[in-house]
Amino acid sequence: MILRQSAALVRDTLQEASLRWIFWGYYGLSTAAILFFLFLLHVDVIEGARATISLLGETSARAFPLQELVRRFYGAVAVLLYVHGMALAVFAAAGLMAAPLEGGRIEWLLAKPVARWRILGMRLLGSLIAVGLNVCYLVLSVWIILGWKTGVWDPSFLAVIATVMFMFAVLLSVVTLAVVLAGSATLATMAAFALMLISPLLAQHKLMVKLLDSESWRNIWRALYWALPKVYEVGRMNMDLLRGRPIESWMPVWSSALFAALMLVAAFCLFARRNY
Amino acid sequence: MTAEAAIQTEGLTCIYRQLWRRREVRAVDDVSLEVSRGTSFGLLGPNGAGKTTFVKLLLGIVRPAAGQARLLGLDCRRPEARLRVGYLPENHRLPSYWTGTGLLEFAAALSGLDARTRRERARQLLELVGLGNWGDVRLARYSKGMLQRLGLAQAMMHSPALLILDEPTDGVDPLGRQQIRTILRELEQRGVTIFLNSHLLTEVELFCKEVAIMDRGRLVLSGKVRDLIAGKGYRLTALNVPERLFERLREQASAAAMRDGVAEFQFASREEVNGALDLLRAAGCLVESIAPTTSTLEQVFLRTVGREGSQP
Repeated sequence: MILRQSAALVRDTLQEASLRWIFWGYYGLSTAAILFFLFLLHVDVIEGARATISLLGETSARAFPLQELVRRFYGAVAVLLYVHGMALAVFAAAGLMAAPLEGGRIEWLLAKPVARWRILGMRLLGSLIAVGLNVCYLVLSVWIILGWKTGVWDPSFLAVIATVMFMFAVLLSVVTLAVVLAGSATLATMAAFALMLISPLLAQHKLMVKLLDSESWRNIWRALYWALPKVYEVGRMNMDLLRGRPIESWMPVWSSALFAALMLVAAFCLFARRNY
Repeated sequence: MTAEAAIQTEGLTCIYRQLWRRREVRAVDDVSLEVSRGTSFGLLGPNGAGKTTFVKLLLGIVRPAAGQARLLGLDCRRPEARLRVGYLPENHRLPSYWTGTGLLEFAAALSGLDARTRRERARQLLELVGLGNWGDVRLARYSKGMLQRLGLAQAMMHSPALLILDEPTDGVDPLGRQQIRTILRELEQRGVTIFLNSHLLTEVELFCKEVAIMDRGRLVLSGKVRDLIAGKGYRLTALNVPERLFERLREQASAAAMRDGVAEFQFASREEVNGALDLLRAAGCLVESIAPTTSTLEQVFLRTVGREGSQP
């Protein structure tokens, strides 16, 4: 019965996502990116490689290794997905998370013999699946197209799925708490975007600490750096993975995961106690 | 508390606190109520009386500040307590991205029904509420009355033993109302307890066997509808009634009064009023009027709430 209820709640989320314009746009953009790659590679591989590098702004007379070209493509897709795709995913998921908490709908759901944590948890899982499917669709398609055209099958690109989904899950935890607290998709989106925007600044914490003249402000800055998710640094790790560079520290990952866990615990506790 | 009751509450209290103003509103105040299984029960009260909050407390949507409630013998805070309860909320917003069939199947899955039963029940109930041809249409295209009927169908999907309906006929045309009443009557005959929260007094009077009236969060009256509207009968007024005859008739009447030489009697039955008429005629009295009287639920409500013009 628990499985049946959980499956129904996830399906409900996917059903709702499938009829939202924002998700159509999200999948549409991925399709457009895939079509662009298909078009770009619809040229002779060797000549196309040089032409493409020129297109990307890097002219070189020397022979360009194909492996490097593919990595550059991977990097372009990873940045597109990690920055723009993430913003769109957060925007789309915030509406999806807030929708069942609307008056007239939440009462109906809460009156069903389902534990509250499962209602929220399955909505979260459904949102992750809706976004995850698109990430997989884009990354796998690009990987297959490039591999098929160039013969280079580099599995490191597939790690983009994990890093993008990890950071999306972290941001979704903020969205979840904001939605439970305020019931507003707009506020939830703003909170997640604020974290994305502040992250590159916080990543420069060593420089910022030197620039700040008050010890209190330095401590605040350090605390913010340690407490908030490291969107920028995980993005850098993503690029390091693609370029085959070693990962210096996993701290951005575990501290972001800890942050997400705390957000989710707060959201679930609040949702369990809240009157609707 | 008795184990047989469908709904039992004891000192149930809900307090809404306004954080900024430090004000407290006792939406439900120390309500103890028992609704026996298999009955049809109506909850009445003016706007803001706490009826909807009371229903939300029963279903665990709102947490009580004090007291307890049990549904079919189970603590209402546990999700299992809602396994055999169907609920139609007031002003519901059923997810419009589902089709009629899809929504019913989703609702049934949340109540733990298997896929085959879900399909079968959805088909049957859509027919029952008159939406047999609308199963594949998205809810966005349904009218308010259709949504209300679908809402009733989703509440019935898992064959509940207790049906809690908040304004079930809201937005439904008279024919649809009649249809809903018939469905509810059939359910009641099959032993389903029906708890109706409605502002339509005539509807409650027509359908419910028992009622309770809430006002300002408190339960102010409860009882069987039959007993509450027992003021039904005939009023007889006559002139020149001798004192001895007046005293004799007063003993037979359920109420009697002499005002400005006009004797007024209230009789419970047709036989009694005819007997009194014979005696008055024989004594040469002048009969001024005979009129049937009723004490409707509305009159009971207004008397109880004590505010003429109140909106239930």
